[in-house]
Amino acid sequence: MSDFGHHIGMRSILVLTTVLLLFALTGCSTSVTISGTVPTPLVQELPIHVGVYYSEEFKNYEYKELPNESEPPMTHYQVALGTHNLSFFRNLMNAMFMQVTELDNPNLTDSQKNELDVVLIPEIARYDVLLPAISTLAYHAVSIEYHIKLTDLESTDIVNWKIIGYGKAEGSVLGGGEAVAEATMEAIRDGGARIATEVPAAIKSILAVKEKSDVLEEPSNEPPIKL
Amino acid sequence: MNPQLNYKIQGFVVLMAVLLTGCVTSRIEQSRETVTGIETDEVMVVMGRASYNDREVEKSFTDCIMNELSGGPRPITLISQNEFQDRLYPWFEPRTAPGTTEHLGELFSNPGIRDRMDEAGIRYLAWIDGDTVTTDEGGSMSCTLSTFGGGCFGVRYWEQDASYEASIWDVQNLNTAGQISADARGTSYIAGLVVPIPILASPGNAACKGLANQLRDFIIGDS
Repeated sequence: MSDFGHHIGMRSILVLTTVLLLFALTGCSTSVTISGTVPTPLVQELPIHVGVYYSEEFKNYEYKELPNESEPPMTHYQVALGTHNLSFFRNLMNAMFMQVTELDNPNLTDSQKNELDVVLIPEIARYDVLLPAISTLAYHAVSIEYHIKLTDLESTDIVNWKIIGYGKAEGSVLGGGEAVAEATMEAIRDGGARIATEVPAAIKSILAVKEKSDVLEEPSNEPPIKL
Repeated sequence: MNPQLNYKIQGFVVLMAVLLTGCVTSRIEQSRETVTGIETDEVMVVMGRASYNDREVEKSFTDCIMNELSGGPRPITLISQNEFQDRLYPWFEPRTAPGTTEHLGELFSNPGIRDRMDEAGIRYLAWIDGDTVTTDEGGSMSCTLSTFGGGCFGVRYWEQDASYEASIWDVQNLNTAGQISADARGTSYIAGLVVPIPILASPGNAACKGLANQLRDFIIGDS
């Protein structure tokens, strides 16, 4: 082999070794896209008109797992769940309430104040994925912490529900990307199940209490009773 | 191909299949509470009972049960777990699924649920619970690879216990029709004689086939 050929050969081996070492030391990043069915919940509609504000962060939520130097090299996931989560929530809200208006801004206009009863603002506060390499279990587990804020028409918070959706899925031999996607979908469904079964009933009782207190606070035309 | 050679190859394949398959002992038990039967327009749903701990029925096990039930000479019409859960969302998710037929009755008091089940013609719900665990393991085997060649030496073994139970609910009469349990145990080996030779027992598969056959007899046996 000529000197040039030898030089090129050595250089190729060095580059290949560096790439392999980098791959081994940093692990790899896997992009996961969530897909699945979006079921229509079989729940009784609450006869109210609800405004729902989905923030841009909620609509485009993406989880990025950053490599940690103290951890052993492993796969780092990048999970884009915003789009699927949004379509799931739109379906959920339309099934839960008689009328739903999607808002561009959480601060209401005067005409919106005349039309709506309450405003709901869902947020994803946290997303976590637990890999079998860390948990030593056979499953990939995912949890999503939703915050569902209920405000009145003056944007005053009435209640903020913290709802955690949990999902898990068995990993395949060739990689955990599919398992993370399946576990995420299960977590969205689980969170949605809790929202669908608990939130309308809670809003109903809050509105009933509010209505009662409004009636009590209304000024009466009758003269006060003198004792 | 020479027919004699062909027979030899077939014989070798059969012999290897017998030699490489470990022994499994299994036991199936059934307890019946009501008379069962299924019409041609009625369907069954096989559901894996989910839990939030690390021990729960594997999806591959319920898939195996469904494959066994929907095939063969006396197939049962099934609706997949995913389709059923979507149709009745959010009432059959791990968090909300009824634990007893009494809870199922309470669930039917919500509007639309009973109608949705009747539309799909669902007659039976079979809840599968259980798992396969490794109860014992031992031995040692080491493999080496060098520029002069490589190989594996030693023996490893592991014993697995597959224990599953199916609880069959009659949706029409809102009662438990009965229970079937399947317990299978087997030991697998890998012997390293330069080339690793696996002798695998599959108690999960034996439990699946035993449970599915018994479930089929249980459902259509009296009709």
